[in-house]
Amino acid sequence: MERAIGTAGGERAAGFNRLRNYLRRPHIIISLVLLFILLFIVIIPFVKMIGDSFIWHFTDTRLSKDARPGHFTLFHWIRIFSSRITRNVLLRPLWNSLSTSLGVSIFAILIGSLLAWLVTRTDLPLRKFVAAAAVLPYVIPSYIHALAWLNLFKNDRIGGAAGLFQYLFGVSPPNWLSYGFFPIVFTLSLHYFPYAFLLVSAALSSMDSRLEESGEILGASQSYILRRITFPLVIPAILSSFILTFSRALGIFGTPYFLGSPVRFFTLSTQIYSNIINRVPAVGYILAFMLIGISSSVIYINQRIIGKRKSFVTIAGKGFRRSITPLGRMKAPLFAVVVLLIIISVLMPLILIVWQTLTLYPDDYSLKNLTILFWIGRGGTDFAEGEAGILRNLSIIRAAWNSIKLALVACLVSGFLGIFIGYAVVKGRNTRLSNTVEQLSFLPYLVPGIAFGALYLSLFTRKIGPIPALYGTFFLVALVCIAKNLPFTGRAGITSMLQIGSELEEASEISGARWSMRFRRIILPLSIHGALSGFILVFITVMRELSLIILLVTPETRTLTTMTFRYQEQGYTQFSSAISVLIIIIVIAGEFISRKMGKRGGGL
Amino acid sequence: MKNFISFLLVLSLLLLISLAAWAGGQEERAALSPETDAWLKSAGLGEYTEDFDEAALYEAGKKEGEVNIYSYSSRVFKFGPTFEEKYPGIKVNGFDIDSPELVTKVLAEQEAQNYVADVIFLKDPSTVIHELYDRNLVFGYVPSDIKGVILKGFQKPLLVHHTSMDVLIYNDEKMSAPPINSLWDLTKDEWRGRFIFPDPQKLSEFIEVLAAVVEHSKEMEAEYKRVFGEKIKLSPGVENAGYEWVLRILNNDVIIMGSTNDVAKAVGLSDQADPPVGWTAFSRLRDKTKNPNLKFTVMYDIEPVMGVSTDVIMAIVNQARHPNAAKLLIRWMMGDSKGGTGYAPYYVLGNFSVRDDVTPVKGSRKLSDLNYWASDPVYVWENGLKILEFWLANLK
Repeated sequence: MERAIGTAGGERAAGFNRLRNYLRRPHIIISLVLLFILLFIVIIPFVKMIGDSFIWHFTDTRLSKDARPGHFTLFHWIRIFSSRITRNVLLRPLWNSLSTSLGVSIFAILIGSLLAWLVTRTDLPLRKFVAAAAVLPYVIPSYIHALAWLNLFKNDRIGGAAGLFQYLFGVSPPNWLSYGFFPIVFTLSLHYFPYAFLLVSAALSSMDSRLEESGEILGASQSYILRRITFPLVIPAILSSFILTFSRALGIFGTPYFLGSPVRFFTLSTQIYSNIINRVPAVGYILAFMLIGISSSVIYINQRIIGKRKSFVTIAGKGFRRSITPLGRMKAPLFAVVVLLIIISVLMPLILIVWQTLTLYPDDYSLKNLTILFWIGRGGTDFAEGEAGILRNLSIIRAAWNSIKLALVACLVSGFLGIFIGYAVVKGRNTRLSNTVEQLSFLPYLVPGIAFGALYLSLFTRKIGPIPALYGTFFLVALVCIAKNLPFTGRAGITSMLQIGSELEEASEISGARWSMRFRRIILPLSIHGALSGFILVFITVMRELSLIILLVTPETRTLTTMTFRYQEQGYTQFSSAISVLIIIIVIAGEFISRKMGKRGGGL
Repeated sequence: MKNFISFLLVLSLLLLISLAAWAGGQEERAALSPETDAWLKSAGLGEYTEDFDEAALYEAGKKEGEVNIYSYSSRVFKFGPTFEEKYPGIKVNGFDIDSPELVTKVLAEQEAQNYVADVIFLKDPSTVIHELYDRNLVFGYVPSDIKGVILKGFQKPLLVHHTSMDVLIYNDEKMSAPPINSLWDLTKDEWRGRFIFPDPQKLSEFIEVLAAVVEHSKEMEAEYKRVFGEKIKLSPGVENAGYEWVLRILNNDVIIMGSTNDVAKAVGLSDQADPPVGWTAFSRLRDKTKNPNLKFTVMYDIEPVMGVSTDVIMAIVNQARHPNAAKLLIRWMMGDSKGGTGYAPYYVLGNFSVRDDVTPVKGSRKLSDLNYWASDPVYVWENGLKILEFWLANLK
């Protein structure tokens, strides 16, 4: 009897010790803290979204006599899946979203990876310049590509000034060329190919070309090597760019709206937007679930493929060399194609947008119509309701400051959280805790920006537990940007942490360094360099962020992007373009500074 | 698998908790809470409203120092500065926010008890009345000195600042006379793909336009008979002639645009071979002074109506921290009998003052001489979303 009790007591003590040891491990503590943070910024909003789709809202009293606000109902689900609006609110937008996103992914990856191959592996002239220019389309707001398209191919259908095509050839372009599927896919591909370009060129440049050379020695033809050796090796990079491009294209709002609505080509994202602004959020949330479902299945399929392929990939870490494939006769034509690509994806939209800022009357591109009023005008004139030019306009300067502050805070906080996520996930590899952290941190990627913003608005306008009402604070806007960008920084954190051998940390642990010391002196300096790309990506993304924050900004916290949207809506193309130019300048400056900092030894 | 099931269990548990937390919800129009009543008393609003006393309000307003106004229109940056000139010591912080977003924000501020807005100035009266006024989240204020000159029907429940109208326009450079004279003309084959209508999913005032057409289905029916010489045959499942008109313009390949400004440009830009007609805001006429390439004008003689009017309203927000400055600002915005002072930015073609002592803008007709339907907030509230649903269901 006594023995038994003793054993039980001993087991309890042992269990307690195990728990204590478990909790002593730093990555466990970090994981638990992260889990707590993720609970608030990811899980609660997600659960709220599910809950909201099952209850009556106040506005529903306009749609149904049975509506009792706050009570349970299946009304919204039935309305979307089986009512007379199902076809136009769900099925057709769903098909349009899927087909355009798929089209965009295919074209963007085709353009991006070919360009990557040309830049990293061939003797194409001006490769450095091409590599730098190929990232720029992503910096230019995507709706600029859409507006440029309209200026070129607008036909008689929507009236107004004829597009350049009609002006030059005297024929009105057909609808399929002017609006809908084709132009959306074309312009978005031009906007998104940098993803594939960056990822594939990274893969290609870290790949040992001896693999290809051995193929050559064995007598394989150029195209055979490309198909059977090079291509399989970059497949993981291509699949990652597929996920990024596909999910982004699925959630984009501006381009489909500009190019789709003249022919009633609606997508899920435009439907989500209009339902949320009409305060029928439940419909928006359910449609958002559809987006989440699609992205999740794409990612799932993708992981299956990568999982199978993993054994193929033999990227040598050290002592590799790269050889250059001469292009021979194809050099000139290929170079011409690349130059053309840069002209239509970067130069033309940039010229158009700058030109727009200089027109006195919108849509009149003649030389006599040029002015700098919208940049440095003193205001008080009849133009633009008497507002001053953007460089003199206090509210725009304040918005610029807000944008920069927001982008910096978001990229620093989510960047560091990303490093912690990387540490927790890599150290706790394959434990349930670390898998949960990894998966949860990826969840925000699947929720479209506008829906994520709407969730935060409805959640954080009231006090929950110890958290005061956050509506109207800068903190809330920053929080949503941090949460939405965790997937990027988390990925970056994990990859860079994987590159750090654990022996470094173990060595210092043996020599008695505490965890905080190890983290500050070893892990942080080693990982920050790799995580820097995540920082920059977040900075750029937040600088250009619109749909995520448009519902959350208050007059005091408004950013440059929310101002462009307003001006665009009201038809002040000049102001909205001028602000876009300002955003592009800030983004390029930010990237330049961070590159300089990155070169100076990777430290902060 | 086991993991997945436990994940689902946790999720459904969380769901239940959240549902329980929300059950209860809001009910019909609430009685005044003690806090609201106390605030009304201190602010001198509701039943505590006193006569308009400019000097006293200015004194009290100076102590408040500023006033925040959320405005659907960017012209807030015009009457704001003139107010500051007239009443030094009170700063006007004008914020330019779209109407639907504005309501969302006021609701959020009330819930967060973070009271930023003092005055709201916006369209979409049906939403404002039902979502804000009925829940005691905003209150009306009519300065007593102009009560007598403001037309009846524009003072309650909330004061109307001006009435704006959405009308049909055509390109008068290309066409010497209005190309149509009936709303039903737009359903004819010659206007297939040549008629532009703003997206009602995006712009609530065009839900009001559609609602007015449906509400006046009897007149639409009579007008059909006048145009086509026979009684209208409704399509299967369509309730009345108003809905039938909506269905037929959709079937006639109506072009949908995202803003009234785009419609004005599409119809009005000069040098067009075959310009369309469109439905847009009357006040877009003022764009012509900003852009000489715009050549369009309003079609006045359309049957049964040339357009649908909607009210732009002003209210003071519950718990506003600058109520005296707010009252003074509202009075300033109502202007004088010449359409001057704070009203000046709105004394333009296409806006109609609710003061019967103000002479119409040069080149404009008097509101009472125009053939239009006034949007009915109660009808729009009860039917607007259903009509939008009909629109959505029948988009081709």
